Amino acid sequence: MQIKVKLYASLRRQKFDEADWEITPDQKIASIVEQLGLARQDVGTVLVNGLHAGWDETVAEGDIVSLLPRMGGG
Amino acid sequence: MSEKNISTNPASVVYKRCTVDLASGTTTFAQVPCKNLEDVLGGFGRSFQVLAERDIVEAYCPENPVILNTGLLTGTSIMTGMRSYFSGYSPLKKSGTGRPGAMWSTGSGNFGNKFKWTGLDEVIFENRSDKPVYALLKEGANGPEVELKPADHLIGLTGHAKIMALYQEYPEAHFAAIGPAGENWENNYMGAVVMSTDNELKSGEPKSRFAGRGGMGSLMGYKNLLAVVALSSDKLQKITPEIRDVNRDILKSGGSARFQPASQGGGGGTWANIEVLQVFHAVPLNNFRPKGNTDVERLFRDEVEKEFDIATEACHRCGIRCHNNLFYKNEDGSRGKLAAKFDFEPLILFGSNLGVHEPAKVCDLIHRCDLLGMDAISLGTTISYVLDYNERHPDKPLFNGATFGDYDKITELIEDAGRGKLPGIARGVKRLSEETGETAYAMHVKGLELPAYLPDTNPGYMFAIAGGHMSMGTHMMLAKEGKHSLDEWTQAITTGGLLQVGYDMIGLCKFVGVGIGHDIIVRALKEAAGIEIASEDILAAVRRAYLRGLALELRQGFHEEKEYTLPSQVMDDPNPEVTLPKFITNEFLGELRQRVWSVFKPEMEGLLPVRGE
Ligand code: SF4
Repeated sequence: MQIKVKLYASLRRQKFDEADWEITPDQKIASIVEQLGLARQDVGTVLVNGLHAGWDETVAEGDIVSLLPRMGGG
Repeated sequence: MSEKNISTNPASVVYKRCTVDLASGTTTFAQVPCKNLEDVLGGFGRSFQVLAERDIVEAYCPENPVILNTGLLTGTSIMTGMRSYFSGYSPLKKSGTGRPGAMWSTGSGNFGNKFKWTGLDEVIFENRSDKPVYALLKEGANGPEVELKPADHLIGLTGHAKIMALYQEYPEAHFAAIGPAGENWENNYMGAVVMSTDNELKSGEPKSRFAGRGGMGSLMGYKNLLAVVALSSDKLQKITPEIRDVNRDILKSGGSARFQPASQGGGGGTWANIEVLQVFHAVPLNNFRPKGNTDVERLFRDEVEKEFDIATEACHRCGIRCHNNLFYKNEDGSRGKLAAKFDFEPLILFGSNLGVHEPAKVCDLIHRCDLLGMDAISLGTTISYVLDYNERHPDKPLFNGATFGDYDKITELIEDAGRGKLPGIARGVKRLSEETGETAYAMHVKGLELPAYLPDTNPGYMFAIAGGHMSMGTHMMLAKEGKHSLDEWTQAITTGGLLQVGYDMIGLCKFVGVGIGHDIIVRALKEAAGIEIASEDILAAVRRAYLRGLALELRQGFHEEKEYTLPSQVMDDPNPEVTLPKFITNEFLGELRQRVWSVFKPEMEGLLPVRGE
């Protein structure tokens, strides 16, 4: 099934801004990140359709998965 | 320094203190045994115990000291180990009773190393000099020596120019100086301490670092202490295999990676936050009131790169290289002169939050603030209030009538504030808003202006003891994790959030990015300082130091309900454009306060010394 993946900041610079992405049903977010070739430790926040989501969650056809790098300030 | 069981025998660690009486010019040296682990770790953990012994009712009084000290790892070969700390009762942070709050402020650069290498761990500047002076700290044949020298030739110079003038006299030294803002202490409470870097001294360009928060530079100005020179030979600690491993682990930790250069696969420093927060329309715009538009995107790194040459640089030997310095491009494409340092706080607070979106103009505003030696957070946030007020009152504006985006008039405000001509601005937003009577959108907590993270996303600001994001590590929690329940916020503030202050004890930068009880820190203390402290003992000492700071706030009269709150606009007029959960109501804050105090208060008992003992 197809989802949309959006990447931000350093992740976007590593790969792409936005892409349609083929996944298998029941594929967890952790596995999608791996499939994208991103290091899990580089991803700080996952949003599914704008809401925070966890590594073990699955997504549905047409969902928008946004991946944000780790943040920090000071 | 090494002693097996430091936790039960802190007095086996002794630090070297010099007390300088600025009024008489006398200096007194002492070997001071540590009272507890907070003393051992250093930084504000030590200085706040000195401050707590004093009864200070106003910041500008001879009894209010400026304490300069280091942390246990300052001057070692552990990466980032070069912090020095300036502490005192702040002219800016004040309680409803009018009493000042205790503050510390810290910066990097090579000054901390050079200071530590003089053989001193702490200098307490007492009273005030009747003439402008600078303090020369140097290593002598029989240990450290301290002298006061006339500083008339430094009067009126920018912080950077003072540093360069002193560098001519002391080419082996590093420097901490105040700018015109600190010299105009009566009318400017937000003076920073400007600290030299190797890059600055070599290039002559103003690549200083700043201990900005809380007006420690203004306090130095009140004391007529214009600069501190740390003159010592380099005593670079041998990098043992164990220290090398610690440094490698710091660099490889995901925590520090986000601050490393984008060109090396890192996150590119705090600058990257802007793009991430924009996903939620949570980047401060027009006085912390995002409009849900794309205005801030002109300050994204890719956009700025079109106009400027971005160089990632570092303090002395630091591999994290978190400084993003922007240089103008010459016509032939080569690198021109330095435009400004460009990090999240100044970028937002002099950019989108003032309605200024052109990178070149933002650079210029940051540059002016830096040269005048002001805290970028306090100044930027106070000016954004002025612009907001003027937009609300077009027929009765404040000062020169500047409004959002009015670059020329904002420039005037910065220049005049820095030179002591606009006390209305330079005494901070709390005082200004109390004068105008419009406090709802004055973005401060306990008199300290908020950094560039929306208060709508961080009730943890209430319990920060030395500036919103430097002393309570909850400023990104909502954006990162989406958490917004009372249980989650109580937990965050009373456990992990407060541990943020631990880095301001041990002499390292927060950009090391691991928790303060992490194995990397335990190993660093053991290998570089020769002191073994178990992780749980470090955590307990940091917690006590934080709670002592909180107890000191209450003793200085901060009201435990009325002043532990957020600007009322957050609760009364939530911003519909921010796409994160809106959960901060008066009821939420009331309940959160109650829960947090019920955890903290029993632990705070007995943490303050009885004065005079
Ligand atoms: S992390 Fe940044 S501020 Fe800290 S020492 Fe390294 S370069 Fe300097």
